[in-house]
Amino acid sequence: MLKKNAIKNLILSFFLIASVGVFAQQKVTGKVTDGSSGGGIPQVNIQIKGSSVGTATDFDGNYSITTKSASDVLVFSYLGYKTQEIKVGSKTIVNVKLAEDASSLDEIVVVGYGSRKKSDVTGAVSSVKSEELNAFPVLDAAQALQGRAAGVVVQSNNGGEPGAPINIQIRGNTSISASSSPLIVVDGFVGATMPQPNDIQSMEILKDASATAIYGSRGSNGVVLVTTKKGRIGKLTVEYNLNYAVQNTVNELDLLNADQFASYHRAINPAYSQGPANTDWQDLLYRVGSTANHQFSFSGGAENVNYYASATYFKQDGVIINSEFERISFLSNLDAQVTDKLKLGLNLFGSRGNQDGVPTQSTGETANGGGDDIVSSVFRFSPDLGVQDANGANTINSVGDDIDNPFAVATEGVNETKVDNFRANFYAQYDIIEGLNFKTTFGYSTRNRTLGTFRPSTLITTAGNGTGGRATIANDRATTVISENYLTYNAELGKGKLTLLAGYSYQKNSTDRFSTGAENFTSDSFSYFNLGSGATQLIPTSSFTASEIQSQFGRINYDYDDKYLFTATVRRDGASNFAANEKYAIFPSAALGWKVSNEKFMEDVEKISNLKLRASYGVTGNQAISPNQSLARLGSVFAPINGQSVINVTPGQIANPNLKWESSFQTNFGIDLGLFDNRVSLSVDYYNIDTKDLIMADSSQPQYFGFLTSNSLRNVGEVNNSGFEITLNTRNISNENFSWTTDFNWSRNRNEFVTLLNGEDLFQDASPGYFNIDRTHVLREGEAVGVFWGYEYQGVYQGGDLPAGTALLPGRAAGDQLFTDLNDDGEITPGEDQQIIGDPNPDFSYGITNNFRYKNFDANIFFQGVAGGDVMNLTNVQLFNGDSNATTAILNSWTPTNTNTDIPRAALRGKEISSRFVESGSYLRLKNISVGYNIPTDIINKYGIDNLRLSFSGQNLLTFTNYSGLDPEVSFFGAGGGNSASANTVRGFDFGNYPTVRSFTIGLNLKF
Amino acid sequence: MKTYKFLVLLFGLSIVASCSDLEEQPIGVLAPDGFFKTPADIQTAANAAFGHMTHEDFWGRKMSLPLMLRSDMVAIGDPTTATRRIEHDDFNVPTDNGMISGYWLRVYQMIAAANQAIAGAEDVDVSAAIKNPITAQAYFARAFAYFHLVRQFGDIPYVSEPITDLEVSGSISKTSAAQVYENIIADLEFAKQWLPNTQVARSIPAKSAAISYLALVHLTTGNFPDAYSEAMEVINQAGTFNLDLEPDFQNLFDATKTDNSLEPIFVLDFIGASNGDDGRDYQAALTGIRSDEQYGLGGGWSVAVPSLEVYNTWDDRDYRKQVSFDATGVFDDNVEDFSIFRNFNSRAVNRPHIAKYTRSVGNFATGNGRGSETNYMMMRYAEVLLIAAEAGNEINNPDGNIEMLLNRVRARARNGSAFPADLTGLNQSAFRTAVLEERRLELAFEFKRWYDIARRKLGTQVFNAAGLEGEKPNFDPNQDYLYPLPEEELARNPNLMPNNPGY
Repeated sequence: MLKKNAIKNLILSFFLIASVGVFAQQKVTGKVTDGSSGGGIPQVNIQIKGSSVGTATDFDGNYSITTKSASDVLVFSYLGYKTQEIKVGSKTIVNVKLAEDASSLDEIVVVGYGSRKKSDVTGAVSSVKSEELNAFPVLDAAQALQGRAAGVVVQSNNGGEPGAPINIQIRGNTSISASSSPLIVVDGFVGATMPQPNDIQSMEILKDASATAIYGSRGSNGVVLVTTKKGRIGKLTVEYNLNYAVQNTVNELDLLNADQFASYHRAINPAYSQGPANTDWQDLLYRVGSTANHQFSFSGGAENVNYYASATYFKQDGVIINSEFERISFLSNLDAQVTDKLKLGLNLFGSRGNQDGVPTQSTGETANGGGDDIVSSVFRFSPDLGVQDANGANTINSVGDDIDNPFAVATEGVNETKVDNFRANFYAQYDIIEGLNFKTTFGYSTRNRTLGTFRPSTLITTAGNGTGGRATIANDRATTVISENYLTYNAELGKGKLTLLAGYSYQKNSTDRFSTGAENFTSDSFSYFNLGSGATQLIPTSSFTASEIQSQFGRINYDYDDKYLFTATVRRDGASNFAANEKYAIFPSAALGWKVSNEKFMEDVEKISNLKLRASYGVTGNQAISPNQSLARLGSVFAPINGQSVINVTPGQIANPNLKWESSFQTNFGIDLGLFDNRVSLSVDYYNIDTKDLIMADSSQPQYFGFLTSNSLRNVGEVNNSGFEITLNTRNISNENFSWTTDFNWSRNRNEFVTLLNGEDLFQDASPGYFNIDRTHVLREGEAVGVFWGYEYQGVYQGGDLPAGTALLPGRAAGDQLFTDLNDDGEITPGEDQQIIGDPNPDFSYGITNNFRYKNFDANIFFQGVAGGDVMNLTNVQLFNGDSNATTAILNSWTPTNTNTDIPRAALRGKEISSRFVESGSYLRLKNISVGYNIPTDIINKYGIDNLRLSFSGQNLLTFTNYSGLDPEVSFFGAGGGNSASANTVRGFDFGNYPTVRSFTIGLNLKF
Repeated sequence: MKTYKFLVLLFGLSIVASCSDLEEQPIGVLAPDGFFKTPADIQTAANAAFGHMTHEDFWGRKMSLPLMLRSDMVAIGDPTTATRRIEHDDFNVPTDNGMISGYWLRVYQMIAAANQAIAGAEDVDVSAAIKNPITAQAYFARAFAYFHLVRQFGDIPYVSEPITDLEVSGSISKTSAAQVYENIIADLEFAKQWLPNTQVARSIPAKSAAISYLALVHLTTGNFPDAYSEAMEVINQAGTFNLDLEPDFQNLFDATKTDNSLEPIFVLDFIGASNGDDGRDYQAALTGIRSDEQYGLGGGWSVAVPSLEVYNTWDDRDYRKQVSFDATGVFDDNVEDFSIFRNFNSRAVNRPHIAKYTRSVGNFATGNGRGSETNYMMMRYAEVLLIAAEAGNEINNPDGNIEMLLNRVRARARNGSAFPADLTGLNQSAFRTAVLEERRLELAFEFKRWYDIARRKLGTQVFNAAGLEGEKPNFDPNQDYLYPLPEEELARNPNLMPNNPGY
């Protein structure tokens, strides 16, 4: 949507191309101003008509261009203004006043295999521009989407961990077992890695089937189209961007000190003897972190060639000691107009990321799952112990499971992930005849990732003591080859405009992996770089998988009289990983749009500058089948016989020739409304997505068959998502010196399981392994995805008769937890007295951005929030169960003399999941507040600088929430971690995730 | 001309997208069709059956732990441990008990692997003399698996061929326990016929393993004459089978020594390495003392800890008591008595702990002694002697020969002392009690006691107030000698209903 003044200002940070004559025939200069306010407009595109020579205005609206002849016509165009053409003649100064375009929604948005004018789009598409992506520094461009686009949920896989993957979810959760992440397409490369935020020109989020069905079997989670920056003809521009931020944790827990801790544990175990120290583990492990981002770029173009190249260095020191992330990345886009008809280009991207982390999220297999998790260990570990005991050995916890102290784990363990990414995409584009264009691309990408871990012998329980240290190394390399070829035909047929697209695509993905490891090293100094010296070698593994997709696709766009819009798409995907009887699938969609405001009867309705109605329906798929998953297979197990592991085969899985993709049937209705010359623009979308043929493990297959994969996959489930999305953009004030714009988005998604296998509940577990709990979430027909499962807490038992309808777990006494006794048998029995106790799905989520500009100052205030949605405070389940440290809330435990409390007596008990720990996860967060200043050009021009901007900002400074834990944005997914198949359906748990951070950032933008 | 060149370029680029038939040609994974060609392929398939036995699901923890806890010899230590474990100790096992559903599949994976080896052997075109000794390992494994199932569940789904038709196999009914026993005996007879007298390791079943298991199966079904004759066959050919009692009882529980002992007959050979829970045992962790430093394991979890009575009633003069128990731990470098174990960890328990799986576990893969090198003895020579003694006593009144079988076990236990002395002159009933008592102590914590209680129907006798664990009010002799079949499996194939009585 249009926000011209905000754009004007923010663009200054990134683009300012002053013009310098390239061909010294006739130099024309001038200033482009806003027709109403009179202010200069930066970044106006100026092109000599019929040639590829062009330039753009500078920050103040000034430009300079060299023309070849007096008959040249200059074309001035800028988003939100009517394009003007002026014949140069003999003039050397051409000043232009651009008039605002009432129907100025004609922003170009990228769609699959092409682009459309925004006003002609019939699907549900959100655009996020460079300036929004870079309003504050982020590690990953996906992070910058949070709160920016309606219907798009963005969450870090692991709080503020340096280098943590960022998950995007569009319009809810359409799968159980397959990824719910959207397809990422970068400059036409399907399934690419996200480039650096500074290199991104725009991101388009395709949400409804009309927009995504062109991506067929990969479209059902939505599609994110990323367009990187390109060079422009004109002066060579060199740019340097710097961001530096200091960070700390948004919150800490109020834990017991050594004396409080000892007295609490003496209440549980009178024999407990207090340790010698008083350690604040949070102080010891948390630090002030920092991020630094340096980006250098140059761009420009001559008559036939334009180029953009950048190098970025990012470094983050996390807020937990010894957790770091470093990345170097390069991007280069080169386009050459070889002849009038032929254009060639090459996009290159390369990066190296190096994450040197600490274990978090309790996903480790050591110490019964989670014993080396820094974050939860910080809370669990006894404060009356120091880092080392009197003998110089690392301490292990004096209560509960034996775990190493978190300081030792953080400082002595090694967890390194190195990722190399490379991507190249070559294209050729040829205008065959007027209106008919052929484009072919040929691309390759590879992602090479190595994970190394090391635990020295000094760590007692994390595979240390007795095993003499443990080191592992794992590598996976994924490669993609892609070729896409398509014809685009444009024609004007009377009042109608027709665009046809037809194409063919082939893509091959393959992944090879290996892992190995060793134990019992002669020295702790090898890290994971001398596996051969380990006396015990772990079992090495390796594997290879490949899949191919070949597709035909097509699209018709027909616009009649700029009033009636019709779009239809179809894609036929054939995929090798589809089962033998279901190799091919067809995904169609159709959409209608009606630009009501262009009708005659609307001409007199002055207040309404734009009104468009949209409707679409289509089918998309989800490639939830892994390679070889439908084939009969033999598997093998670890078989130690006669002192060594031996080769073996065991029935692995039975063939399933009918397994097919998951299909989403999506309906979308939308309305776009612009009022008062589009000073107010509003979009509202309603959608309904029925996802059928969900691939689920067929738990109805008897286990006595004895296959290694006991539950073969079947297409059985159905889930429904429906919701509303509202986007409202207003230009509240806009004049030469001051502007104020507001962008607001709001979305609400409802989901529900319609069908599960035989209508049976599916239980899932997202608790750490050492909790010894089997069920924490349930999938149930008629319920939302991933609701919580547990006991309903009824307060503390005061002794005497049990209050009606409540009971205790066996062996409990006064002061213990009362739960609802569902089967009314007088005692609480696992499996019989548990019920749904919470729903992590928010009622709605929203984002509000206000942009202000006063002269050379600008400011951005961005709030983001969710309402509704429960959080399970699993941290408290741990901290109140008597085998660890606790928060000071425990001081109010029930005792015979302190009975008026909700906190049970100090006792050792099982880690029972109950409604006691379910809290509202609603929050409103000041995500960003920033102030920027552009040094006036008349000062810096003297030094040859085109633009110099300074900015100060703060992220996550304020959070309004009733949540009692550290942070309501939680990201714990159980022992499998955030990448496990179940991560879709086990949301809302708070435990051991890396802390969310608060940052203060300074930024510098320098352009020559 | 120039344009022509460009068109070649365009064409060249687009041709990269060649047509594919989209057939999957997996690399690094095996398809079942045509796999079996040589006897080595039969061995490869049979190996998997034994591999499954070492999974956490089976002997690593899931099946082995309930066998301990249901007996009167081992109770729950840490009361906050998983409910699914406590349920077995309390005889409060629901039909969705997490231990049972945790290993049910694994046992059938063992069976499926064995079935595949047995069926695959038919495709291997060599003489019976060459291939049957290998196939016999699979027969043994199948019998071993079903023997556990039939003792725990009674009537069970019985599968003896690779699954090819999901519909047919998915709707079978239970096979009666009596028929399952017949099939087990037939499998073991095949194994007895074809297995060689000795193998390179005791983790590979030899003829002695098949005969010993025949003896135990017959003992379990109360067929004492056959139990006796099979056991005596092993004893009489002990030289041929290279079997003898291990002179020092402690060595049987020393992972560095069991490989060279003549006593084990069939073992599960954990090797101090694992692939996740594949091949990982947990007994050291489950039975070890929390925060105990004495064996450098990083302490245990005090989950499965004998009641104090087990310790107190065991004669201190019995060498096997000190081998079987740890009455002290080491904390902060000090040796401490069991009566104050809890001082050092609130989830510990003030009772002597089992030492058989912690004292010398060899290398281990994961903290707490998990993934150890322990060789778990499924059958050892001392048990064969006791089977012969028990069965022989039932056939005739105990004579000197029968007494001698029992007294050989007692003699070894003396370890140079005078205790326990030989037993002589007992009547049949007293001798029966003595043998069962000898089994209880000799094979203490070796996962045998529950099966003894169940086959001898000792429940009401051992789970009353005078029992080692005090009164077990939930124990119901009409129900609890059998476990419940997992309810989910009954739902998957309703023809398997009803569940066992009482569930």
